[in-house]
Amino acid sequence: MTTEVFGKHKWGMVVDVDRCTGCQACVLACQVENNVPLNTQERYERARGMAWIRVERYWEGEFPDVKARFIPILCQHCENAPCEPVCPVFATYHNPEGMNVQIYNRCVGTRYCANGCPYIVRFFNYWEPVWPESFRNHLNPDVTVRSRGIMEKCSFCMQRIRRGVRNAAKENRELEDGEIQTACQQACPTDALVFGDIDPDNNRTNPGRAYSMINDDRAYTLLPRLNTDPNVIYLAKVDPDREGGAGGH
Amino acid sequence: MASLLEFIKEKHRTTPLWIKALAPVLLLGGLAVFAVTGAVTAFVITAWLGQPIPVLGFDQTVKQPIAFPHTIHAGTGLFPSTGLPGQFIDGLEMDCTFCHRTVTSQANAGVPPVALCSYCHKVIGPEENPELAKLRKAAGLTEEDPSPINWKRVHRLPDHVRFVHEPHIRYLTQHPSEIRNAAPGVNQLSEALPSQVCSTCHGDVASMLEVKQVEALKMGQCVDCHRENEAPTDCTVCHH
Repeated sequence: MTTEVFGKHKWGMVVDVDRCTGCQACVLACQVENNVPLNTQERYERARGMAWIRVERYWEGEFPDVKARFIPILCQHCENAPCEPVCPVFATYHNPEGMNVQIYNRCVGTRYCANGCPYIVRFFNYWEPVWPESFRNHLNPDVTVRSRGIMEKCSFCMQRIRRGVRNAAKENRELEDGEIQTACQQACPTDALVFGDIDPDNNRTNPGRAYSMINDDRAYTLLPRLNTDPNVIYLAKVDPDREGGAGGH
Repeated sequence: MASLLEFIKEKHRTTPLWIKALAPVLLLGGLAVFAVTGAVTAFVITAWLGQPIPVLGFDQTVKQPIAFPHTIHAGTGLFPSTGLPGQFIDGLEMDCTFCHRTVTSQANAGVPPVALCSYCHKVIGPEENPELAKLRKAAGLTEEDPSPINWKRVHRLPDHVRFVHEPHIRYLTQHPSEIRNAAPGVNQLSEALPSQVCSTCHGDVASMLEVKQVEALKMGQCVDCHRENEAPTDCTVCHH
């Protein structure tokens, strides 16, 4: 007999920038999985486009020796999240599983959290989400459709985590590493995104894939000077031409 | 009241007649406004705290396209037929999970497909029963084209709640002492059947001719039960 244990895991993600080709499959997968409203050119022009994960592109070098660099940016699920203490209604808080969560039915839409976020991964519903008629039956029934006036962001595919934990409890076994996949990870053709338990205590006897990657030489976090302590770890690009670039690979 | 009558009957005409005529109307009007406001307030407060007062169609029952009797299918004893008034049929004591098949494995309890109904009702049930005639038409057993049955939903949670039946059934079958509104003797069992735990939230459906919502199903009830049974109470367990 097992019941669902909550707070046993600490979820995190490793993003291998070296593997990312900038194909945007994660962006699309996330949009479909999480009922993210469709964007239009006008919304992007007003800086109100919504994408829980986005692939940022940087150009490096001068023409003709120019290189495109890609980096997927999603909610970093910071341990010291700047968005959490500013919420007046506790709609965003840190849950026992190490995730920064957004509770839609508590949110009143002050947008303080989005103003505080240094990674710009929180999105405000400026409009009532409307899908074309043909899309209506494609919405994910496990995810709430957010209405106008509330904030939303990457949830690490909470519905998939809950389903995975529930299935393990149903079959009376421990959750396996890699059993829970986020939508972006599942869609990534180069396996650049790895989701898993990154709690050291849970990885002592049988280290998971994500945990074994966060101690890599290439590991870094975004904007470390802000001391947000993200749960999303990036692995640096391997570039032999680059001066001071990560060597040894 | 007496002073009001005195005021109306007074002989010396200092007060105009139209004011005298209006005074009782104003008094009754004031009382009526007071009563209506009180009734509305009572309705709002009860609806806020639990089930609203059953007036104006707020009795939590829904008119189904086919008058399906849960009593005859799941109940024990003699029950009136919904299609043929005056006839009584013995309850079949069917298990809830015979029709609501996904309740022990999935989020949704599941409404059975028409094929499951017609599996029995191809043969069982008299032809003159108008409710069964509707079912046979929907199942395509008649000359007419089959059409889906638009069953109306009775228990509806808000869109921001993700309720999953499976873990609740699993826990309550293993802990029968926590089952509420249970049939006699169920709380003392060491392990309950899935169909014996439904009453915790749905009441005794087997005795309802028209299924209605008996529990308010508010978040307070969910959280109370989760706390008593040491189930997780983190927001993300239900809201995501």
